[in-house]
Amino acid sequence: MSEETDEAIAIRVQQGQQEAFGELIRRYSAKLSRYARKFLFDTEDAQDVIQDVFIKAYENIQSFDASRRFSPWIYRIAHNEFVNALKKRQASRTVFAFDIDTLVPHLASTDTADSAALERDVRAAIENHLETIAPKYKEPLILYYLEDMDYKEISDILQIPVSTVGVRLARARRMLQEAAKNDKHLRDTNLL
Amino acid sequence: MNTKHTNGVGDDVMKAIREGHVHMRPRWHFLLLSALTLTGAILAFLTLLYIVSLGVFFLRDSGALFAPSFGARGWLTLLRSLPWLLIGFVVIFFVILEYLVKRYAFVYKKPLLLSVSGILCIVFIGGVAIARTPLHHTMLVSARHGFLPAPLSALYGHPLRQTSPDDMYHGQIVDVIQGGFVLVDEDTEDGHGTTTVLLTPRTRLPYGEDFTLGERVVVVGDEVATGTIQAFGVREIDEYPNQ
Repeated sequence: MSEETDEAIAIRVQQGQQEAFGELIRRYSAKLSRYARKFLFDTEDAQDVIQDVFIKAYENIQSFDASRRFSPWIYRIAHNEFVNALKKRQASRTVFAFDIDTLVPHLASTDTADSAALERDVRAAIENHLETIAPKYKEPLILYYLEDMDYKEISDILQIPVSTVGVRLARARRMLQEAAKNDKHLRDTNLL
Repeated sequence: MNTKHTNGVGDDVMKAIREGHVHMRPRWHFLLLSALTLTGAILAFLTLLYIVSLGVFFLRDSGALFAPSFGARGWLTLLRSLPWLLIGFVVIFFVILEYLVKRYAFVYKKPLLLSVSGILCIVFIGGVAIARTPLHHTMLVSARHGFLPAPLSALYGHPLRQTSPDDMYHGQIVDVIQGGFVLVDEDTEDGHGTTTVLLTPRTRLPYGEDFTLGERVVVVGDEVATGTIQAFGVREIDEYPNQ
């Protein structure tokens, strides 16, 4: 028997079966916690934010359109909560100010089909150097490589054009490569 | 709310829900919010259309829109005649409209430059189309005769309507004289003062010099004596349809 879809469970919650929400929490708790840890780099803070994400999701579940996918909807809530958490933490700094990338049209990115080797390298670099990347580049990286979302889903979560997702991912990969190169150079220098 | 997690995030959240500390907002709340947003966006769009059409109407009515046919000096006259207060309102309502529609996929999926230029194009084309209808002219005449309520009639007077630059005159020709004509200057305080316009061989006349009585014209020129100007350029003001 096939498993009940997220959307079907969300409909049950909308109809008043509040216990069904526990199943949605069970399905998304680990995913969102990983997303939060990678994005916020603070396990304690991340747990609090995840709790707020689920509370917001429950409060606003009637706004969910069941003809669309549930996953981008809850990730959108998570994105908003993470950005708010970062803003609180970095009160004096601009976290997501106006972005020129969303202003001008970009050519459609052609690098979605990464080779297995490149993908492996990027995943390894994410593990080691993600903290060196600015939040606006970090988020598409996490969603694409760790949460296995496609460009369209990331575009819906971040509410930016699909072409901008491609541009940010390409730049983020370059930043990771640069960070990995600098790290290697540093290690080589220290060894000498 | 932010309950402390003891047995995992999920347990805490479910406990808070069961105990009634967290409430699901009703569906009507979101429907109302969407309806209000949509209504706000439509109102902002219609207001933008109205403001742009009013601005185009003012420029057309004063003749400033036709001044560029006199060359560089005419372009400068047009620039100095722009209704800056209305342009300020356009910017304000445009920001409001963008804010209200940015949550919709058809807007955020497109680069900002495309959505901004798309909305601007629609508003500008729509505004020009409305300006060509008798709407504003009828409203202006009604406002001048006191038939419009105060808030509406204020739209058709100063300060929304930019005062003409010092070297631009517009009005109806009431007399054709040797080497020029006399016009009723609509910019004078009572709107009935006359100005004598002298034409010279250097006067720019993009549509010729066959001026007839009753014709409305725009003149750019310099005052050579009180009530007399030497024209740099003269052309008729295209009248509105059904006028």
